[in-house]
Amino acid sequence: MADKLEVTEATKRAQALFDLTGRVAVITGGAGLLGTKHAEIIAAAGGSPVLLDLPQAKPEAAAAAIATKYGVDATGLAVDITQLAQIDNVRNELLARFRRIDILINNAANNPKVESGGSKVWSRLENFPLEVWNDDLRVGLTGAFLCSRVFGSEMAKRGKGVILNIASDLAVIAPDQRLYRQEGIPEDQQPVKPVTYSVVKTGLIGLTRYLATYWATSGVRVNAISPGGVFNNQPPAFLAELHQRIPLARMAHADEYQGSILFLCSDASSYMTGANLIVDGGRTCW
Amino acid sequence: MLVGLDRSSLFSLQGKVALLTGASGFLGLTFAETLLANSAHLIAIGRPGKLSKQEQVWSEKYGSGRVHCYYVDMYNLEALAKTLDEIAQRHAVDVLINNAHELAPSSGFNTPAGSLDQGTMDVWMRNLTAGVCWPALTVQKIGAGMKDRGRGSIINISTMYAVVAPRPVLYEGTTFLNPPAYSASKAAMIAFTRYVASFWGSYGIRANAILPGPFSNTEDAGPNSVQVGDPFIERLKANTCLGRIGRAGELAGALLFLASEASSYVTGQSIRVDGEWTAV
Repeated sequence: MADKLEVTEATKRAQALFDLTGRVAVITGGAGLLGTKHAEIIAAAGGSPVLLDLPQAKPEAAAAAIATKYGVDATGLAVDITQLAQIDNVRNELLARFRRIDILINNAANNPKVESGGSKVWSRLENFPLEVWNDDLRVGLTGAFLCSRVFGSEMAKRGKGVILNIASDLAVIAPDQRLYRQEGIPEDQQPVKPVTYSVVKTGLIGLTRYLATYWATSGVRVNAISPGGVFNNQPPAFLAELHQRIPLARMAHADEYQGSILFLCSDASSYMTGANLIVDGGRTCW
Repeated sequence: MLVGLDRSSLFSLQGKVALLTGASGFLGLTFAETLLANSAHLIAIGRPGKLSKQEQVWSEKYGSGRVHCYYVDMYNLEALAKTLDEIAQRHAVDVLINNAHELAPSSGFNTPAGSLDQGTMDVWMRNLTAGVCWPALTVQKIGAGMKDRGRGSIINISTMYAVVAPRPVLYEGTTFLNPPAYSASKAAMIAFTRYVASFWGSYGIRANAILPGPFSNTEDAGPNSVQVGDPFIERLKANTCLGRIGRAGELAGALLFLASEASSYVTGQSIRVDGEWTAV
């Protein structure tokens, strides 16, 4: 059997196993902190990243920087992923240019910082505005659904492709609101992690399993990763509390998810679909 | 930066020493080849015979300095402990892969003596020894050095049957039997994996499990191998959403991921490589 996955052939070399040469990867929220990291590892593996983001996030500039750094074809497109017509346009544009779409990373999500103070803390469940709920679900879930529908269908038609949904450790466990507590603030004004974050990220796991079975025989693999928090100069008191909840006793580095991204986007994971890879320093294992 | 961005260095095992048990088994051979081909130094434990021949093959292919085999009957726990002490003294092991398990009639495979109704205590103990005591011993003996050096990756090879039960209908009318002692020992292995991740995380040691789905041995004539075209294979295929059984090489990616710095923030996890057997 002359299969390219025979041990004695390609698999024995990491380079071939994790190679993305010639593959086109659409990344939503592509100009964000983690979106650009995803795009970088795609580029480093020889793929062509396509960064989708809102105009104010300047996806063209982010793509240009990656193109220069890695010497690959990188594209940035200003798109609202909650608008089906705009996603259709992106598909048409990419097919005209590359004739293929190989990878979709559903990475976009609203992630408002937990704020503090004020007489009415909006993030608390009792006050949580319906508009914010709707908007968070629109970006995090509807956006992922629409992109999967448009780009995933294209992959299924070609009989090959990968979708990777970026979930969160909060798709596996509840936020520990004690982490966000602040001294001297009344109970009903304590800041909390918004409910939508848990709902969106957990919903992505359901979407992952649904799409994985739906397209299993069409050659489209669908997996999720559930990353923990990334170190970004959080206050020392917060870090000290959080570190106690993580066996590795630290947050992740911003570039530390790249290995998981490449593993699940490449042929290295060819027999994996419907899986959720938890990358959380062990936080959910105890 | 913790890891290089270059895909070949991100998943590289250059300069790493990897200890692999059960290196001459069906999946063990794939793991060994994957480690060697990606520049690791291989320490293999197993019984002589097949492994001694394999040592020759590997030495010729990768150079004799790259492979060290230690021969021991792992069921002799005293001898195994001594061997592990010797290995710990001679090699600074970075990656420990607990892969060995006896898949034979003596451990209840493909014989009524392994079944739920008739399984003997001997069958149970052989499985629990392989799934629990071997990893416990290797982790203890090899982990001590990892703690001193402040780094290490422990990879336990479990199975999908640790999280879902075999379905009787798959085995009906065949000579195949997958004993309950195997499921129980491999489920215990996952609990042990989490325990190690939890207690040794602060030493920079990571512990994870790989849960292979249906990776039938269609390649050699071992006691647990299956002929290509056997209707049993068709049943297994039908139970995955991908509609096919796994090829041994398809575990190489997960192994490289967990063994290398590419997974530096992954610990306490069970990675299912099962063609979506467990998703439905």
